[in-house]
Amino acid sequence: MPEYRVLLIEPNRIMMERLSSVVRNTKNFQLVSRAMDAREALGQGGVFVPNLILLDIDAQESMQLVREFVRAFPQAGILALSSQWNAQASSAVVKAGAKGYLIKPFTSEELIAAINTFGNSGMGMISEVMTFFSPKGKSGKTTLIANLGMALAQKSGQNVAIIDADLQFGDMAVFFNLDPQSTIVEATRDIKFLSPISLNSYFMPIAERVRVLCGTKRPEFAEDVSPKAFTDMISMARSLFRYILVDVPSAFNPISVAAAEASEQVYLVSMISGGYEGKHMQRALDIFKAWPDYETKVKTIFTRVEPCDIQKQQQLEALIEYPVCSILPNEYLLVSEAANNGRMAVDIKPGSPLARSIDLLAAQIYGRPYKVG
Amino acid sequence: MKQKVEEEIRSGIIMTVFSTASAVGKTLLSVNMAAELARSGYKVCVVDLDLQFGDICNYLHLSPQKTIYDAQKAAENTVGQLDYGEYITPYEYEDTIFSVLAAPLNLEEAYNISTQAVIEVLAGIRGEYDYVVLDTTATFSDLNLAVMDLSTMITFVGIVDFIPTIKNMKVGYDTMRSIGYEKNKIRFVLNRSNSKTHIELQDVEQLLEERFYHILPNDFLTAIDSIHQGIPLVINDEETALGRGMQELIEKYTNRARQKSSRKNASLSSWVKRLFK
Repeated sequence: MPEYRVLLIEPNRIMMERLSSVVRNTKNFQLVSRAMDAREALGQGGVFVPNLILLDIDAQESMQLVREFVRAFPQAGILALSSQWNAQASSAVVKAGAKGYLIKPFTSEELIAAINTFGNSGMGMISEVMTFFSPKGKSGKTTLIANLGMALAQKSGQNVAIIDADLQFGDMAVFFNLDPQSTIVEATRDIKFLSPISLNSYFMPIAERVRVLCGTKRPEFAEDVSPKAFTDMISMARSLFRYILVDVPSAFNPISVAAAEASEQVYLVSMISGGYEGKHMQRALDIFKAWPDYETKVKTIFTRVEPCDIQKQQQLEALIEYPVCSILPNEYLLVSEAANNGRMAVDIKPGSPLARSIDLLAAQIYGRPYKVG
Repeated sequence: MKQKVEEEIRSGIIMTVFSTASAVGKTLLSVNMAAELARSGYKVCVVDLDLQFGDICNYLHLSPQKTIYDAQKAAENTVGQLDYGEYITPYEYEDTIFSVLAAPLNLEEAYNISTQAVIEVLAGIRGEYDYVVLDTTATFSDLNLAVMDLSTMITFVGIVDFIPTIKNMKVGYDTMRSIGYEKNKIRFVLNRSNSKTHIELQDVEQLLEERFYHILPNDFLTAIDSIHQGIPLVINDEETALGRGMQELIEKYTNRARQKSSRKNASLSSWVKRLFK
């Protein structure tokens, strides 16, 4: 267990005493220096060789100071302290080089959780939200998201979140065989009082770097999730996860539209079943074409494609008059068996064509240069 | 007041087709229910309440001029009784004729439809038909709940394929019961009964605490074929197990024995019709 040598910067004397006492009483944490004035700490803190800086950012100028602290203490991790959660400030400090954002006053448990969450993974630098949208009905996207989340975590070594926002009939909990204590209903209900660290506990761990925020337990709870609280929750989750995959109800509704607008990438997913999938895909695409950057932001995926080859992909592209980003083969028995057992397809047969296709998509996402804004 | 009650008694039977999972065959069942009821001599209208991605007109190869969007808009702007005839698209194949109230032509329209106005439209058209069949989406939306309230009978379509689907059926059924719908109002219809699955039908019935009212055979290719032909299976000349299964369902619903002869007549006249087209 590493020893944390803490430099604490806090302008308020009472708060300073309170936080100092928490740091001193936390196992493996040593308070090596403290300052009420950030400038002073910048000049003199170095002699104490801190490796963790807890920096108040509520005082003016602090944002600028974050940058200076990053320069002055390259070996230390910086956590910004604020008395309230502010998504904009959080993303600004992280862009300035801080590891994360912690609400004060905090407890020992919260401090440790913050270190574990932000410290090890180099988190908070960038995050990408991807919404999986299906025009009509069954698309196979839950299977896709579950497996893609696992593959992305493996490839990138970074934290991945799956948010089941298919509010009425979300299947993620069943897919992963979870009986969640908290779901999207509680997370959005509590969001005003949460910080990233406390939000993290609403997500259920399903693998080393993959967490799931499960859907509602009963369809009537769906009404309790407001689009505003939902997007606030997504924006807070950005400081916890490198990739956030959002499963939304099919068609255009307040939640699927809110998720799409909060995302860097929207995947339209449709299952080939011999009906009018191409027509529906086109119809949905027409709406997204109102976005000026739709060509980079909106991608299409077809599932249960037989034969799953490049000719078929080109055929589909011709049909919808739009590039097809990925095609997935039909693996009905594999998928249903995996779902029935509460396990994902990649978990069972890593070499299967379906797992390989999803892996390819994960590589594509992982290899993509991050675009700010 | 008394007259109003009498009017309601005279009004048509509303049969809603609902499910908690997508792609279970709601639309196929809806058009076939409508066709079979029409073939049996009833005046029938099928309404596409999948407002954004409705497939009824796709399945019947119809190109509607007016849709439910126009109808509900007119209902909103009109005081008193409206003539819904002009919003209807007729479907005709051989001797079978029924009406279709189509889903909106574009998505913007679909997004701007008032539930209250749709209910008004349905109240209006049920006065002109023996049966009104409603095809829905797999969600408890305001609209679906409102039309289910209004419905005489809800056909709850399910597939026994894998656990999440069954969980959603159970959760959906519990929800409908908790809203206060009578058991008798909800009829479970199982589609694709012999599809590849490891799950036993009895287990599902035990979980639901309800028996399936009717079971339709798995005949995916026949279904797809009929969609592409644009002809409901129950009125197609070629008899199929799935078409027969759907006819049997309507027989149960209408409490009548099957009339084999009318099919014979229909095919003869169709043959003649085709000759003189």
